[in-house]
Amino acid sequence: MRRYIARQLVQLVVVVLGISLLAFAILHVLGDPVLLLLPQNAGKEEFARYHRLLGLDRPLYVQYWKFLSSAVVGDFGKSWYADTPAFKLVLERMPPTIYLTFSGLFVALLIALPLGTLAALRRHSWVDSLCTAVAVAGQAMPLFWLGIMLIIVFAVRLKALPASGYGTWQHFLMPAFCLGAALAPITMRLVRSGVIEVMSMEFIKTARAKGVAEPMVVVKHALRNACIPVITVLGLQFGQLLGGAVITETVFAWPGVATLTVESIRNQDFPVVQCAVILLALIIVGVNLVVDVLVGLIDPRIRAA
Amino acid sequence: MARATALGLVPLFVLALLTPADVLAQTKDDTIVYALQSDVQNWDPPNSVLRESIILGYNVFDHLAARDLKTGKVGPSLAVSWKNLDDTTWEVKLRKGVKFHDGTPFTARDVKASFDRVLNPENKLTARGNHAKIKSVEVVDDLTARFHTDGPYPVFVERLTALVMQSEKVMKEKGHEWMQENPVGTGPYKLVRWQKKQEHLLVRNDDYWGPKPHFKHVRIRIIPEQATQIAELISGGVDIIKAVPPDQMDVINKSGQARTTTSPILRTAMIQLDQAGRSGPNPMQDKRVRQAANLAVDVDGIIKHVLNGLGDRVATAVNPMAFGFDPSIKPYKQDLAQAKKLLAEAGFPNGLEVGFLRTQPIVEPGLIQTSDAIVADLAKAGIRTKARMVGESGPFTNLVRDNKADPMFEFSWGYYSIFDADAIFYDVMTCNQPYSYYCNKALDDLVIQGRSTLDSKKRAEIYTRAQKLVHDDAAYLFKWGLRGVWGVANRVDYDAPRDEVDRMWAVTPRKK
Repeated sequence: MRRYIARQLVQLVVVVLGISLLAFAILHVLGDPVLLLLPQNAGKEEFARYHRLLGLDRPLYVQYWKFLSSAVVGDFGKSWYADTPAFKLVLERMPPTIYLTFSGLFVALLIALPLGTLAALRRHSWVDSLCTAVAVAGQAMPLFWLGIMLIIVFAVRLKALPASGYGTWQHFLMPAFCLGAALAPITMRLVRSGVIEVMSMEFIKTARAKGVAEPMVVVKHALRNACIPVITVLGLQFGQLLGGAVITETVFAWPGVATLTVESIRNQDFPVVQCAVILLALIIVGVNLVVDVLVGLIDPRIRAA
Repeated sequence: MARATALGLVPLFVLALLTPADVLAQTKDDTIVYALQSDVQNWDPPNSVLRESIILGYNVFDHLAARDLKTGKVGPSLAVSWKNLDDTTWEVKLRKGVKFHDGTPFTARDVKASFDRVLNPENKLTARGNHAKIKSVEVVDDLTARFHTDGPYPVFVERLTALVMQSEKVMKEKGHEWMQENPVGTGPYKLVRWQKKQEHLLVRNDDYWGPKPHFKHVRIRIIPEQATQIAELISGGVDIIKAVPPDQMDVINKSGQARTTTSPILRTAMIQLDQAGRSGPNPMQDKRVRQAANLAVDVDGIIKHVLNGLGDRVATAVNPMAFGFDPSIKPYKQDLAQAKKLLAEAGFPNGLEVGFLRTQPIVEPGLIQTSDAIVADLAKAGIRTKARMVGESGPFTNLVRDNKADPMFEFSWGYYSIFDADAIFYDVMTCNQPYSYYCNKALDDLVIQGRSTLDSKKRAEIYTRAQKLVHDDAAYLFKWGLRGVWGVANRVDYDAPRDEVDRMWAVTPRKK
């Protein structure tokens, strides 16, 4: 296990390096950031001065090396826009996004586990068809549209929830549901097929033969085993979830890091983009590491292998 | 299973860790809620190019001069009067008894410090270019400051509305870094708290020298998505939103909760025609083709039917609200026969094909629909456009700057809030300016003349000549002055501001 984790950590470094290089390259082909920093009527000398100030007049590899060597010690430079350290800016905005993605994940599981199991146990019945229909509808619904619909129903019509913003638990409900609804369908399908597969296995028969009550068979034996592919896929989907967070955060005026990243890309605020991309990559890689460990914990056979 | 349960509980714990409801010592009755699409980068207006910074700045700081929204004229604010001693010296008298939020009195030393700060290139303040014509500021006495300019500077007073007055003491004792998040102004509101990308909370400055704002608190919420802003407005979460898309006006007006209000704003839209040949040799270099383009399009019809009247037709690029605008110059009227004739004379009896660089409606409402209508009209006369769409404003502007635009491209100009013809002629129509695809020595001469005298009668005459010139030469395809649309909750009274600077102290409860 230890060697396994060590290998994963090495991979992590490679991934982060690759991503930083990619982000750096993409940002530099996007165009001249100074154009957005200065008023439209700024003169040529003003432009040259800003290029010098930001170090943009130096060769690309020098810029990249300078960035990398300070990033290693946690110094991502100052945001060109906000005049504050990029790291601080990104860190400040991290918690709302983490809360949002985890509560989205939670909502997805809350929907997917019972529905998926139910669909598996009542295979080919109307319950199964209904669950499939819900899944297809959920997958087909654009996040953006769902968010606006939720706002119109719960905030504008019913006046039950605040339309947008951040701060109280009421503010959480719609965004979490919105994000969760996007992830639930795929999870539900996985739970369903997992449970179906497991239910036909020998050890289930054994459990039943031992006289274990049916609900116990399903929850303790079937679901636990069916969870393995689900957890793996959820780990992989985490990146998607962060992608969905961009839209959810925008619709619900959520002050998270996802919108900060998109905004910084638009502003070509290199230090902030670099910092956010690297931290988000770290999180995704970290989550997948945790998933691997978890799967090992749940299934000793994987640990051994 | 226990582990799985524990895993499931993690998000619950995370949820529980969140701070509970934000309790504010404010009620709805004494609070006005205003929404912005994006947040400011700092609370130091000279260190930002964003309009949001200008708006927030106006609520917490004061300027030496301010625009009277009713008359459109610039009048006194922290300065009570000004006069020019000679062509390059202005003397400004300051208001007595004004105090900064920290209690220090406002004097001419603060004026000098504010201008010195923005003018010093080492401070890297982005607003520097707007004031670079000022050479130095001299303190005559506590309430008198003297400005020395580099040559005659006719828009001096206009520009006084563009720099907030900051405290010399704060600059010296607290410094640049601190000022980024802690505004100390003399304005009607004070900043209480700034939660980045989320909300600003302002409280009334009860020692304000001017008329007291009605609402004790202002909450400025950052809501990036327009649909969400509208939902907040009609569900009572927000009182004032700006930049409402024209097709959403009905939703607001039928809600029973809010209404829309519009105002002409200082931005004119046009399609630039590459007379200067910056994109390479092209048919638009021929005056007759440019005239044909102007004659082909039924601009009035487009304003009426596509924009629902949200535009004010202009004969040139000069906005009706700008100094120097001459209403006696009449816009082109659609005349397809004449357009075809001109094209034939220019050597295109069968019409021509030309590239047209287009963009998204970021500052110009209904841009896609109006340009589609223009394209259709042009085709009727024989000008067939080949469209290229570059949606993001950064890359679009890059193309324009780098001579890579097409012979036709969409363009609009916001004058940097300087209500003066010079603010568009110089930047958008003279030779060798980054955003000008027009170059005409005769116009350049007029623009320079207009800049070199303080005599407003003479300047008005010069700009009349300049407008005649660009109109007759059909420099660009001239469109209209834009109108902004605001959404206002029915519980308050608020008039849309023509300079697009929302002043929260002007909001009052609605009279029943």
